[in-house]
Amino acid sequence: MSLYSSCTSAASSAGSSVSSTTKTSEIDCLLAGAGYRVRSSDLRHVAQRLERLDAAMVNSPAEVSQLASDVVHYNPSDIASWVDSLLSEFNQTASLPSDLPELPELVVGPVLNQTVLAEDAWTDHDAPQHQQLNNQFPVMTAMEEDSGIRLVHVLLTCAESVQRGDLAFAGSLIEDMQSLLARVNTSCGIGKVAGYFIDALSLRIFTPQGVGFGGGVGLDAAYENEVLYHHFYEACPYLKFAHFTANQAILEAFDGHDCVHVVDFNLMHGLQWPALIQALALRPGGPPALRLTGIGPPSPDGRDSLREVGLRLSELARSVNVLFSFRGVAASRLEDVKPWMLQVRPKEAVAVNSIMQLHRLLGSEPSRNSPMEMVLGWIRNLNPKIMTVIEQEANHNQPGFLDRFTEALYYYSTMFDSLEACTLQPEKALAEIYIQREICNVVCCEGSARVERHEPLAKWRVRLGQAGFRPLHLGSNAFKQASMLLTLFSAEGYCVEEKEGCLTLGWHSRPLIAASAWEALALPDANSPATAPGIFVNPHSNPPVNSL
Amino acid sequence: MIMVGHRPRPSPPHEAMQQKKAEDTDQKRPKFFINDHVDILIEILKHLDGPSLCVASCVCRLWCTIARNDSLWEHLCFRHVSSPAPSTVRPVVVALGGYKRLYMVCVRPVLSRLGHSDRVRRRVWTREVVQLSLSLFCVDYYERRLGDASASSLMFLCKPVNV
Repeated sequence: MSLYSSCTSAASSAGSSVSSTTKTSEIDCLLAGAGYRVRSSDLRHVAQRLERLDAAMVNSPAEVSQLASDVVHYNPSDIASWVDSLLSEFNQTASLPSDLPELPELVVGPVLNQTVLAEDAWTDHDAPQHQQLNNQFPVMTAMEEDSGIRLVHVLLTCAESVQRGDLAFAGSLIEDMQSLLARVNTSCGIGKVAGYFIDALSLRIFTPQGVGFGGGVGLDAAYENEVLYHHFYEACPYLKFAHFTANQAILEAFDGHDCVHVVDFNLMHGLQWPALIQALALRPGGPPALRLTGIGPPSPDGRDSLREVGLRLSELARSVNVLFSFRGVAASRLEDVKPWMLQVRPKEAVAVNSIMQLHRLLGSEPSRNSPMEMVLGWIRNLNPKIMTVIEQEANHNQPGFLDRFTEALYYYSTMFDSLEACTLQPEKALAEIYIQREICNVVCCEGSARVERHEPLAKWRVRLGQAGFRPLHLGSNAFKQASMLLTLFSAEGYCVEEKEGCLTLGWHSRPLIAASAWEALALPDANSPATAPGIFVNPHSNPPVNSL
Repeated sequence: MIMVGHRPRPSPPHEAMQQKKAEDTDQKRPKFFINDHVDILIEILKHLDGPSLCVASCVCRLWCTIARNDSLWEHLCFRHVSSPAPSTVRPVVVALGGYKRLYMVCVRPVLSRLGHSDRVRRRVWTREVVQLSLSLFCVDYYERRLGDASASSLMFLCKPVNV
C-alpha cells in the first residue's frame, strides 16, 4: 500500500539521521540507568531471548524454581550473556524446541526512547515466517494473548498521542502495531478489531484533514452504503430488532385511525415496511389507508431508487389489500428536509421513524438553531402520534479524542464479537465493512464530516424532553416480540433489556442499540407563557400545507 | 388399507382397485378403499405433521393433489394456536405465497428453534409467534420481489427446503 511505504521511507530517513549520531557499540543509556549494561546493537537480540525465556517459563514453571536455586549467575548486569546462559540451562532441562524461528521485531514498551526504535526498526516484516508462528506450538498462545493485550495498550497510547498532537510518535506506533498484528490471529477477536482501528488511525494520522470517510461522500457511496446496510441487516439482528420494535410501537399508536402517514428518515430498501403493511392488513377492523414518505439520498445517474422501492412496497400493499401511497424525498442530509416536502394532511395520524439518523444532526458545538433543534422543532410541529427513535447505545460524541477512541474500541469489539456467530457469507464480510465505515468515521473525521455522533439513551432522553417530547412506553408486546426474534438467532449471547419503557439489544449484557418511542407534548397556546425560550419558535416557517 | 389387485401384470394401484372393486361387488364382500372417500382422507391427512405430509404426497396422484391443497397446510400452521385465526389472515397468506410456503419457510424453522431454546417451556403456539412468523414471511416475500436472488433474510432460520 502506497500509504505505508511513504510512511516507511519518511520514518527511515528520520531513523538514519538519528543513528548516524549514535555508534552501534554504545551502551544503551536507559538500561544503564537501571543498572544493566547492554549494547544498543544487542538490544534486539536480548529482547528476543527474553521473550523466549518468558515463554519457556510459562511452559515449564517447575524448572524455574530449580533454576532459581541451582544456577549461579556471575555477571547479571550483562543481560545478554545472562539470558543466554539461562536459556541454555532451560534447553537442557525443558523440552523447548530449539528450532524456533527468529521472533519478529518487538515493541519493548513505549518507555524506551525513539533511538531504540529507529535502529533496524524499519526492516521488512517477513510475513510468511510470522504466519507460521501462529500455527505452531502451544507456547505461542500465551504470547498471542499477550500480544493482544499489548496491541490494545499500544492502540490507546497511539490515540493518546494523537490527542496530544504528537503525530510523529503516533505514526511510529502504527508500525509497531503492524508488527504486533502479525503475531495475533486477525481473522477473529481482538486481532480483527484492532486491525480496523489501526487502519482508521493511520488514515487519521497520514491523511490531510477534511477528507470524509464513511460519511457517505459522493453519490456512488450512497448506493454502496445501501448494499452494505442490507447485508448488515441480514448478518445480525440489530436492524431487525429496530424494525420490529418500531413497527410494534407504530402499530399500537395507529390503533383507531383510518388515515395514517409514516415518515421514514432513511428508507434504504424499505425493509422495515412490509411487516407493518402486513400487520395493518390483519388488524381487527381492517387496514387503514397508509401513506409512506421515504427520505433518502439522491441517486446517481438518473436512477430514482426511492421511487423503485416505493413501487415494490405498493405492489406488496396491493396484494394484501391495503390502500397505499408512497412519496420519496431525496435529500443528502436530514437538515435539508423541510416539513412542507412531507405534505402532511390535517386529519392523518403521523408516525416519524428514525433509525440511526438523529445522531447525524449533532454538530460539534451546541448552539441556538442548530440542525438538531431545527429538525426536532418541525417534527414537533407536525404533531406526530409517535416518533420512534432507534440509536446506537454508545458515547461516540465526546470532545476528547482518546475518550471517544476508547469507547469506540470497546463498543465495536463487542459488536464484532456478536458477529462471529454469523455463518452467512458474503453477508458477514459485507456487514463487517459496513461497521468498519462507521469506525472510520468516528475515528478519522472531525467537524461536519463526522456524522457518526452516537450518544447514549440517557442523553437522548434529556434532549428530546427539552424539545417538547414525552416518552411513550414500549409495551410488553414489543418486548415479547424482541425476545422471540432473538431466540431465532443462532447465537446465545444476545440479550434484550427493558429500561424505563425503552428496549435495548445487547451482546452479553453490553447494550449496543436502544429503541425508544416518543410523542409530542401539546403545543403551548399563544396566551400561555412560553415554557422554554427559543425552542418552540421555528424561524424556518413552512409555506402553508397543501390540503389536497 | 390399500388392497393389492390380483392381476398378474403390474398396473397402477388405482386402476387395479377399480377393477377389483368391480369384481368384488359381485361377491358382496365389504371392502373399504380410502381413495374413494376423499373427505375422510383429508381428515386423516390433517393430523399429520409436515414431514409426514410431504411423504404422503408421494404415495399416489390423488394423495399428491390433496397434499398440495393449501388448506391442509393452513391447518398445520395453526394447529396449536389456541384461538382460530381470523378470516382476514387467509387472503394475506395466500397473496404472500400460500400456507405451504409459510410452513416450510417460517413456521417449521421457528417452531423447531423455539422448541430447542430453553427459554420457551411449552411448545404451544401463541398469537405472538404466529404474528412474528407472518411478519418474517412478509419480509421474505418482499425481498424476493426486490429481485434479490438470494433473499437471505430468513437464512438465519434455516436453509430453505424445496419440496
